[in-house]
Amino acid sequence: MGKINLRLTEVQNRERRLGTIIAWNGTASDLHTQSGYQQRGSGCKSNKDGCRLCEAKGPFTQGSVCSEQMVECQAGNVRDAVLIQHSPIGCGAGQVPYNSIYRNGLAMRGHKVENIRIINTNLQETDMVFGALGKLKQSIDDAWERYSPKAIFIGTSCPTGIIGEDIESVARKKQEELGIPVIPLFCEGFRSKHWSTGFDATQHGILRQIVKKSTKKQEDLVNVISLWGSDIFTPMFKELNLRVNYVVDMASVSDLEQLSEAAATVGFCYTLSSYMAAALEQEFGVPEVKAPMPYGFAGTDAWLRELGKVTHREELVEQYIAKEHARVKPKIAELKKKLQGLKGYVATGSAYAHGLIQVLRELDIQVDGSLVFHHDPVYDSGDAREDSLGHLIEHYGEVPSFNVSNRQQYQFYGLLQEVKPDFILIRHNGLAPLASKLGIPAAPLGDEHIAIGYEGIVNLGEAILDILAHKKFHDDLKKHAKLPYKQWWLEQKDPYILAKHPELIDA
Amino acid sequence: MAVTKNEHGQTNSINQVRYGCAVGALYSVVSIPGAVPIGHCGPGCMDKQYTSLAFYNGFQGSGYSGGSVSPSVNAGEKEVVFGGEKRLDELIKSTLKIIEGDLFVVLNGCIGELVGDDVGAVVSKYQKQGVPIVYAETGGFKGNNFVGHEIITTAIIDQYVDKFTLNKDHREKGLINVWSELPYQNTFWRGDLSELKRILEGAGFRVNILFGGKSAGVEEWKTIPHAQFNLVVSPWLGLKTAKHLEQKYNQPYLHIPVLPIGAQQTAAFIRQVVEYAGIDPATAESFIEQEEKEYYYYLEHFNDFYAEYWWGLPATYAVVGDSTYNLALNKFLVNQLGLIPRRQIITDNTPEKYREAIAQEYQKLAHDVATTVDFVEDGYIVGKLLRETDFGHKPPIIFGTTWERDTAKALKGNIVEVGFPASYEVVLNKSYIGYRGALQLIEKIFTVAISASA
Repeated sequence: MGKINLRLTEVQNRERRLGTIIAWNGTASDLHTQSGYQQRGSGCKSNKDGCRLCEAKGPFTQGSVCSEQMVECQAGNVRDAVLIQHSPIGCGAGQVPYNSIYRNGLAMRGHKVENIRIINTNLQETDMVFGALGKLKQSIDDAWERYSPKAIFIGTSCPTGIIGEDIESVARKKQEELGIPVIPLFCEGFRSKHWSTGFDATQHGILRQIVKKSTKKQEDLVNVISLWGSDIFTPMFKELNLRVNYVVDMASVSDLEQLSEAAATVGFCYTLSSYMAAALEQEFGVPEVKAPMPYGFAGTDAWLRELGKVTHREELVEQYIAKEHARVKPKIAELKKKLQGLKGYVATGSAYAHGLIQVLRELDIQVDGSLVFHHDPVYDSGDAREDSLGHLIEHYGEVPSFNVSNRQQYQFYGLLQEVKPDFILIRHNGLAPLASKLGIPAAPLGDEHIAIGYEGIVNLGEAILDILAHKKFHDDLKKHAKLPYKQWWLEQKDPYILAKHPELIDA
Repeated sequence: MAVTKNEHGQTNSINQVRYGCAVGALYSVVSIPGAVPIGHCGPGCMDKQYTSLAFYNGFQGSGYSGGSVSPSVNAGEKEVVFGGEKRLDELIKSTLKIIEGDLFVVLNGCIGELVGDDVGAVVSKYQKQGVPIVYAETGGFKGNNFVGHEIITTAIIDQYVDKFTLNKDHREKGLINVWSELPYQNTFWRGDLSELKRILEGAGFRVNILFGGKSAGVEEWKTIPHAQFNLVVSPWLGLKTAKHLEQKYNQPYLHIPVLPIGAQQTAAFIRQVVEYAGIDPATAESFIEQEEKEYYYYLEHFNDFYAEYWWGLPATYAVVGDSTYNLALNKFLVNQLGLIPRRQIITDNTPEKYREAIAQEYQKLAHDVATTVDFVEDGYIVGKLLRETDFGHKPPIIFGTTWERDTAKALKGNIVEVGFPASYEVVLNKSYIGYRGALQLIEKIFTVAISASA
């Protein structure tokens, strides 16, 4: 593993740093073996110029997601900051979904509900020719005048990347002039094949320009790297005599400043937390809790014990574990009866999927297949305790149909035919509508915290029972909906056939 | 280069976007039954337009070819450096193998336009083979989805309709092409277009509605040249297309700037179209009579509430939205309900040359009611203007978008979300226009008002 380099203004993208891939087809254990987590973590040569995993990429692709969107949903959701999108107006369309998520997230966390603060520089054709740093400066001034923010983020776009706007120098000047951090985030959609690089871009900017360099420590403060999910950590941490510092969504700039003062950093998903947690340890000495993720009994036990070790609360943790086991076990036994014989399928981001499969298996639900949007062969710390796929396989067994597909709906059809689940768990839009048309209900996990910890096992079980009732709606729809795919494609057994035989499109 | 502020203080900055970009017109393609968009753009472009226009805007849904179905090049560094023509070519080829469609529309985005990909050359190869496919230069920096919409309709007409229509000189009296609301952008377009078609058919016409569930899809587009005339029902959107058709096929057009809401406007609208077409007005008159009977049957019963509800009803209002809906609502609220206009803001970046004529329409809302309109796209300025407005002694109704929720709350007013984005409305076939839509609109306005009262 290379060290994280905070001196560079641009974050190094995931495919170079971690060897991320977006297309793969096989079993979970094959992917794990080929990823060689331990080797890569110890700095083996094969990782120097990226991953050596073979990618099953074919000629056909459907629209996915870009890094800039992740910047909107992270930097755009910092409460007293403003995000400027230096782009044509189309990138600004993202303000709509992220406003809705932001408003509901604020409500869920008990903050005042208000509109998201994103300003688009509205670049036009002449700007493509002559450049538009004047407009960028103006929008920074507008942000300052309108909101008196504590920090201003600037997100780049495909066009500004191509025309080569010198955003850095404008940001530096404005930072001096305004006396607040003005932070360029490099997140051109074309720069990385996977949008999770957008998480890293945001975190890189925060680490460089917001996090305090003080040596002060708050021994009971724990950074939780999350999105907008409900507050399940405060009550949990209270029992351990710890306080939560939620970042990045819904955080204030001062919450971000004190990231360096915390006793530890945790995440609910290594896809999201990998970069920031590793950098906080490397640059600010804040230990990252390196453990399996807190899903299912095995995962949560191990995660809590490691947290206890890092924060010196071993005893409280043991008491909490014992109490919680006793509390939820009868509930889970009841749920298992109701969920008996069901087959589930998980289609979400990478590390998050590993966690969800654990919870499903804990509920005795059969999981023969999963689709993850990307795969990181290793996370930034390189520590084997974070090998979430390895942990899944070791404690919860093989997943025979394990596929990486960057939200490619046409492939999802074949995967569902192969596995024939009773329901699916999803995050991100686009796959559930297809499943519905096949009569398969989906539980959309918009609240990413729903399945975490012991209570998460119960929560997820109940969520599944709720959505199984929707099956009536989907079965009815199934009889009337027409799929957009040709018969030739619907009859293919292998959803990756075009990647293996691209010559088929000439036939 | 320094940026100048306009009279409202608007700069280049846009807070709270109220439209997509030219690529957003991919949802105009999606709204034509049987048509499939293909994006020659970055990995997030199609998704952004989807989640904003088709999801968090009434949750209209992706339908047959939108959402995650739409093929996209997902351009990466390689395409930026070496060009994306080869990648587009393999995408088109594989799309034709996998996706069932009657018409494919390639939309060139910012990346393709900036690196200079010759999308036309790639697509024309397929056109020569007889594949129903067209291309449009819709780079996001070219403008918004209103602009993109007419780029796309023109592309389909020039590259597909013109090629595949038989007997282009043949005209059918009583057949009309309708150009009105922008699909998906106007949250209620589906219900509205279907009501528009119902009204025109009731008046004795045959109607090419062209978009939405009531359209016969690509087959219907092929009959565009056969129409007696084009009907543009909006202040400006569609005029470019109509003028293009006039030039191309010598097909005349009728421009009615006000989309009709309620009995008065709708009857006037029908009579104007009938007179222009020169068809026998008997069918239209008997349709109007029948519709008015039903319409006023309901209003008579609504009257008890409107005349006697003593917990207070709003008197003043503001409308924030696209020119089409903005003007239509104003005409209706003033003439049918007797409400008092206080602030009108058009947010669709109306081309400069149409603004004066639109502003004139607000000068004659009724014989005794006139008001002014502002053209603003920046949501921050919208909020500022609304907060500066004197709405009198009672809380106003704000007809706007999700962006106006905070302002409505600050003004202690009611909010009715009538345009993009409407993130707290679920919309299936709801319509606010014509006879039936007007009744639904009245229900909505006063349900919102009285449910907030206690």
